[in-house]
Amino acid sequence: MMNREKVLDSIPIDLITEIHSRLPAKSVARFRCVSKLWCSMLRRPYFIDLFLTRSWARPRILFILQRGDEWSFFSSPQPQNPYDNSFVVADFHMKFFQHPGSASLAVTSGLVYFPSLQISKKIEDEAPVVCNPRTGQYMILPKLLRDKWSYSFLGYDPIDNQHKVLFMASPYSTDDHKILTLGTRNMCWRKLECSLTHDIWSREICINGVLYYLASPFDEKAETSPYVIVCFDVRSEKFKFIDIERFYIWSMLINYKGKLGGISWENVGNILELRIWILEDVNKHEWSKYVYTLGEDAVLNRLDHFIVGVTPNGEIVFSMRKTSKPFYVYYFNPEMNTLRKVKIQALDGDTSVYAFVNFVEDLNVNDSKQLKSSLANRGLNIIRRRPQPQQRRHTSSRDLSNSASSVKNKQPTTLSQNKYDLLANLE
Amino acid sequence: MSSNMIMLKSSDGASFEIEEAAARKSKIIANMIEVECVDEDKAIPLQNVTGNILALVIEYCNKHIVDDDDDVATEEASEEEEEAKKKKVDDWEAEFMNSMSLETMFELLLAANYLNIKSLIDLVCQTIANNIKDKTPEEVRKIFSIENDFTPEEEEEIRKENAWAFG
Repeated sequence: MMNREKVLDSIPIDLITEIHSRLPAKSVARFRCVSKLWCSMLRRPYFIDLFLTRSWARPRILFILQRGDEWSFFSSPQPQNPYDNSFVVADFHMKFFQHPGSASLAVTSGLVYFPSLQISKKIEDEAPVVCNPRTGQYMILPKLLRDKWSYSFLGYDPIDNQHKVLFMASPYSTDDHKILTLGTRNMCWRKLECSLTHDIWSREICINGVLYYLASPFDEKAETSPYVIVCFDVRSEKFKFIDIERFYIWSMLINYKGKLGGISWENVGNILELRIWILEDVNKHEWSKYVYTLGEDAVLNRLDHFIVGVTPNGEIVFSMRKTSKPFYVYYFNPEMNTLRKVKIQALDGDTSVYAFVNFVEDLNVNDSKQLKSSLANRGLNIIRRRPQPQQRRHTSSRDLSNSASSVKNKQPTTLSQNKYDLLANLE
Repeated sequence: MSSNMIMLKSSDGASFEIEEAAARKSKIIANMIEVECVDEDKAIPLQNVTGNILALVIEYCNKHIVDDDDDVATEEASEEEEEAKKKKVDDWEAEFMNSMSLETMFELLLAANYLNIKSLIDLVCQTIANNIKDKTPEEVRKIFSIENDFTPEEEEEIRKENAWAFG
């Protein structure tokens, strides 16, 4: 038996890096304090890229639980091809107290965007806020006057590694559209032109640097189709529009293996019908449509469940709308026609659930100097300790095998909350 | 077809007989077999691997040839069988790693690296990561025999920068 020092001395640096790349982001940040060598290893751009690649191979689901004005952030592993009846444990990240009026939020490549959040004790004192649920750091953006018909979205440009907030003024107001780049020195809203006045009909999804949402042109005289998909290139800040012939009744937009898609579902008797449209060719506007039926005793229904999104290998994820014991997330694999339920442990209570798939730990985002304010108490009472002691060691043996799988689709995605169901707008 | 057996010899002189198919999990040994530098009667000397570690490597390789063979017949296996098999391998790996100390893991990692067995490197690295992820920097220094070369001021600064990770 070799002695330990000798063994450790003979371990090459690249093997240590292999171990580092399999740690959670929180451990990486903590282990920078081990030594100067580890600190520089854990900050190298090569490592940060490797970590992101590994992160994509073990995407997580972000759960945001809201009860009254209490918002809690958790995440759990998002198993690829899960076993039936397997379970994973949700990790607690942080919570804060906030007036429930500002329930609109979106998640883009590791950041959560609140278009309007109360930032002081005064109820009317609201501003857009971007926060990183992993680190508890947040940034308050310059205030923006908005009416209730306006929308704002968080987009991510993977080429320049930049987040931008797009504010689309309501066609009923005289406001300008505006855009803001996070992290610029004088963060300010810039005016933005859009050639088509339109009403926004859906939440957004950001795929490979393009923000998509559904809209209807506002100009009655114009000879356009009644509905369009607005495509906003986050990097060039240019709009494009895809006409859609008739109104697809979508619950939400999805990222289906890197392509834009729409999804809707309904219970027909005791079966569940799922319709998916996929934009096969952006330039030719070619769509393909798929219809799936699920089980004779469909456990899923619109009242108690919602679609969270699609995993990188094309599984459609459903979640319960409220936490319960037990709390389940369902994975439907259209190719195999299988529905798997995975129990999420450590999410208790009868609380409203927001969920986002493909939540990926990105050290670039965690280390971002933009989000400096942390644990400040400007009315945002952020708590990073789990309220009650609970067993939350993740011991699933699945962890071991995950490392071998790799994910081809490395596009950061925005996934909108189903609460903004388009159907809800129509009904 | 009966599979060929080959002999491996550890640094401390222990000899092990292993099926060629299992030994081929090691890229190094597979290469040696390809270029025919394996003498049927002679053991392959592995100077960097002790007997106790080589025994673990062989246990791992033996366990994994079976599933590689089965991969060819995937089409016919039902989904339930696939799932059960995968779970069985996962469970076996968890059990296999669970029985080992961190010291042994480091030695196994070195051996897997020397023999170039990618899946074993992945497994050991992930297990070590799982073992240390909740440790403090002090505990990690002890595990890896690392000296703290920060001045108190420097350490304070780095801790401040990464304060969220200490919550």
